[in-house]
Amino acid sequence: MSLNDALRNSAHGSRLMRTARPRAEGDRSAVARLTLVVLVGLSLIALALSIATGASDASALRVIGALLGGTEDTVLSMRDRIIVLDIRMPRALLGFLIGAALAMSGAVMQGLFRNPLADPGLVGISSGSALGAVLMIVLGASVPAGLMASLGAFTLPAAAFVGGLLTTLLLYRIATRGGQTSVATMLLAGIAISALAGAVTGILIYMADDKQLRDITFWGLGSLSGMTWTKVAAAAPIILLALVVVPFLSRGLNAITLGEAAAFHMGVKVQRLKYTAIVAVAGAVGASVAVSGGIGFVGIVVPHLLRLVIGPDHRYLLPASALLGGVLLLGADMLARTIVAPAEVPIGIITALAGAPFFLWVLLRHRGRNGW
Amino acid sequence: MIDARNLTVSLSGKTIVHSVSLTAKAGEITAIVGPNGSGKTTTMKAIAGELPSKGEITLNGHDIRALEPWQLAVKRAVLPQAAAIAFPFTVREIVRLGLTVGPNRHAERIDAITSEALAAVDLGGFAGRFYQELSGGEQQRVQVARVLSQIWEPVLDGEPCFLMLDEPVSALDIRHQLTIMQLARRYCEGGGGVIAVMHDLNLTAMFADHMVMMKNGSVAHAGRPADVMTDDAMEAVFGCRMRINGVPGPGVPFVLPHTASY
Repeated sequence: MSLNDALRNSAHGSRLMRTARPRAEGDRSAVARLTLVVLVGLSLIALALSIATGASDASALRVIGALLGGTEDTVLSMRDRIIVLDIRMPRALLGFLIGAALAMSGAVMQGLFRNPLADPGLVGISSGSALGAVLMIVLGASVPAGLMASLGAFTLPAAAFVGGLLTTLLLYRIATRGGQTSVATMLLAGIAISALAGAVTGILIYMADDKQLRDITFWGLGSLSGMTWTKVAAAAPIILLALVVVPFLSRGLNAITLGEAAAFHMGVKVQRLKYTAIVAVAGAVGASVAVSGGIGFVGIVVPHLLRLVIGPDHRYLLPASALLGGVLLLGADMLARTIVAPAEVPIGIITALAGAPFFLWVLLRHRGRNGW
Repeated sequence: MIDARNLTVSLSGKTIVHSVSLTAKAGEITAIVGPNGSGKTTTMKAIAGELPSKGEITLNGHDIRALEPWQLAVKRAVLPQAAAIAFPFTVREIVRLGLTVGPNRHAERIDAITSEALAAVDLGGFAGRFYQELSGGEQQRVQVARVLSQIWEPVLDGEPCFLMLDEPVSALDIRHQLTIMQLARRYCEGGGGVIAVMHDLNLTAMFADHMVMMKNGSVAHAGRPADVMTDDAMEAVFGCRMRINGVPGPGVPFVLPHTASY
């Protein structure tokens, strides 16, 4: 750099600082990467807070200290140890994974159907999963004992998984004709399938005994309480698999925002993309609903919020949705178990109470602008 | 070269295109013209590999039905008629979508090609705007830039690439119609080929090297515009009597793109 250049640069230093911001105009990938870094940090904080806080005064730090082999193992720290390791930890991990699964599934559905309103909950997948689970709770006794024993803790997630997958495939078949998916048909069919699943669930509730009724109610409201390592082992592998597979669909989902024909023109194997996305969503949502019940609005609010900040590029939107979904669900869970401690508010109530007004606010703010 | 032989396309049981044969050579603009519903777009979609069809379609000698989507995508790009986008992409992000396959998908080339493609459609400085906030004509030019960037080099690995444009100038003002047609001509001069569905017969006469007139799903006439565009052919295909190179009487002004200079 010549002296002249240096002088000119220092004279216009402040302007340079401002223009140095984006690599190129209209390119939000720098903002997106920064957002991802921030979200990773927030995720770690949320996980730590979630493990450290709760209705009891058990100290996570002390337990971890004891684990690392330092301090004395008294009866008190034994109790703390159970609270931290066997109650809070599985709850925090699974809560994070469920939030991630729901938010990312929302983003995938919205991309696939090219509609910002698509959501596993709104289009009936969640109710299909719940129906599968309720079916297992009520009729589980008539399932061959051998099958029950071999599936063990996986029975419920498996039933929810199958329920979600079947609903999703049915929905997709109904909405797709001649290779073209109709968004209007999808939403209407989703409403119909939700109603149908609700009716069948109603029949099952009518048949259920008291214990089963309590189990079923747990589904409807959604909760992260009662998470165990067994449940983690049952649900986490499916969710993790989906979380790993789905980001590979980013480029295809980006292309498909221009339409399925355009995506094919750009070199995407459209049919394979659709099936992979659908199976991943059904798996992730099915497993989530299986262990936590119906938790609404995460799948629609999180991707929406992120698109406002980092844009709709799925290479960033999908991982960011997963992270923010996990963070928000853990936040909601911390609220759920502390505002009326030692009792708990079902987390589905919290996400709906906070999510619905927020969604309305976004809707009102962006009303009149087409396409968000 | 794109070569279609005895192409027949049926949609939900109805035959839309009957045994159409057409050849699009590298270095030439091939225009498909004809009245509404004559099968122009359907023919183009079949050649793009998007619609199932009967008959033979080859791209540089390869059967297109045997090629993977990505193999097609590096050799031909398709501009559809106007498409709505549900998400808030910026103009740069839309153009960049074209750059996910082929030799230009690498980060260091993407920014440069995106900017050049936007400049080529006279949208320099629009990269940061939101697609949804543009006018229809501007959106159409963004799509042209995206399609162009997908096969940025007119010749790849010694084989020509082809732009397939479905009504590329339908929403454009006269100056930008010329911009896009000249872009197509430059692509051909670079060794690539262009197939365009056109409604503007004057632009077709000015720019097309080869012209295919369709009617009722069949080819009515094909050849150089100077040979094909006759009074009788116009009447037979479009259903109204017009005089080629006829000058209207006094009182009503007329203006032709042929006279443009800028």
